[in-house]
Amino acid sequence: MTNQTSNQAGTALSDLPADLPGLVRIETHDREAIMPMIVDGMRSVYPHEQIFGKYCTVNDYVNCPPDEVFLYLSHTLSLEEWTYSLRGFDRTDEPGLWLATDRLGGATYLRTVAHADARTVDYHCAWDQGKHLWMVYLMRVLDARTVLDVDGSVVLWTNCHHPFYDENPYPETAPEGRTEWVGDLWDTFAPGHQLEMSNLKAICEYRWANNLPVTPTWMSE
Amino acid sequence: MDTVSLIDIASYLPENRVSADYFARYAASDRLAHNVMFRSPKYRHHVATDEKAVDMAERAVAPLIERQGSETVSNVDILITHTQLPDVPVLGSGGDLARRLGITPDWVVDLHNGGCAAFVYMIKLARQIMQTSDASSALIVSVQNGAGQFCTQSDVRTRPESAIPGDGAGACLLAKSEDAPVLGLECRTYPEFAGDMTGVVDPPRKYWEPGTGQFRIAFTESKIAKIFARGNRLVPEVAMAVCKQIGIAPSAIDTLVTNQPNRLFLRNWREALELPVERHPDTFDECGNLFGAAIPVTLDTENRAGRIANGSLVMMSAFAHAGDFAGAGAIRWGAAPVGA
Repeated sequence: MTNQTSNQAGTALSDLPADLPGLVRIETHDREAIMPMIVDGMRSVYPHEQIFGKYCTVNDYVNCPPDEVFLYLSHTLSLEEWTYSLRGFDRTDEPGLWLATDRLGGATYLRTVAHADARTVDYHCAWDQGKHLWMVYLMRVLDARTVLDVDGSVVLWTNCHHPFYDENPYPETAPEGRTEWVGDLWDTFAPGHQLEMSNLKAICEYRWANNLPVTPTWMSE
Repeated sequence: MDTVSLIDIASYLPENRVSADYFARYAASDRLAHNVMFRSPKYRHHVATDEKAVDMAERAVAPLIERQGSETVSNVDILITHTQLPDVPVLGSGGDLARRLGITPDWVVDLHNGGCAAFVYMIKLARQIMQTSDASSALIVSVQNGAGQFCTQSDVRTRPESAIPGDGAGACLLAKSEDAPVLGLECRTYPEFAGDMTGVVDPPRKYWEPGTGQFRIAFTESKIAKIFARGNRLVPEVAMAVCKQIGIAPSAIDTLVTNQPNRLFLRNWREALELPVERHPDTFDECGNLFGAAIPVTLDTENRAGRIANGSLVMMSAFAHAGDFAGAGAIRWGAAPVGA
């Protein structure tokens, strides 16, 4: 390191117009200016649409080590246990692609993408067809010691409101006579996912507390 | 359990009606002045220089005597007062008010906590006394008188928060009766939030000692956001608790009357209870933050205008100071003016 200034304030955003719309920074809006904006955003209650309309996030604490929870979630077959209605998982001919039955809707194709270093587990799914897995369940397991100063895990889970929720892009793949589409359930995702999160919590906590393998041996066989 | 009813309600506003210009003129900067003009109430009433708290209490009670007869008021068994800024720091207005009214109640209580929710707390206290003793009627008085006193001091009036308070007083008459029953009450104390509102003098001294700094009420600056979030939560919470207690949905509330520290709270509280603005009247633009007098002043204002029908459901709800107390109460209204 040479003795150059480490203060980058002079160069930050120097490539952008000074009055770029949408920017609120202390250089242009002091504390007194933003307080009304901030306070206006603090409500007693929030409309469901505002909180769960575009993105649906549920989080919970699980009294079980994060690596254990991550490992469990990273096994596609764990969904057989902790989801409300996904059952009967089978591998397809395509590597990594699974087929299960959502007892609420029918055939669900699914691929699990997990990254151990960040403890992220993403389930890419779709009803009816496995070519375009547009319905993505994004999960991340945190070490509760880091974020809450207690042993265990914090599980973050978000779904984004993909436009296909509003209209089935592949109507030709839908089974005859089925009237409901997965997107019809979007507004139930928050309480529905919270319920499944509770399932996940109960399963992992029981196994961990009773010295059972959190990921049962049958899943990895 | 004897039913206790709210028989009548009255209020008093000091004559001196002060516009926002008064504070804008003294604001420390143009920005503050702008803030005062657009965020503070259009008007507030200030107590007169020679007007005591007990004068205000007496003036708030006067319409009750006029309507209910002096004998009714003379016979009250319970007198409970709440005074924001007592004329003499060591006691409230109760004794002197009783002397002026020529009454000798069995119970005279100067309630000094409860803040903006004191009116609800006093009703609860009076009901408790009535249900456990021979007492059969009560007079309750709430006096808010700090706005025209410490908020108008030369160093304090330059601060934006000084434009918010207003002075006024409210009174009500309670009796053992089925006519206008108090259906449910919920009062909750949160001691953990009791230290976040303080009296400040700079340079520091005891408020009664001679010195240069001017006394003002302040909130712990670093906790402003927390206090705001607390207020957002507490008022709907205690109102919902009363709804649950009496077995109604918040949508059954015909008139919600709350304390009124600012417009945002008013908006947030009715949003939380899912009530339209017309069912949540306030007197903010005329009176500012009336603290413990807000509920009776707004109730009386609406009642005199004929907007609270007998038989309708009134919900009062408020939180105090920085959140150390909250109270709510539901009344089946029966105090509509004759002919309304």
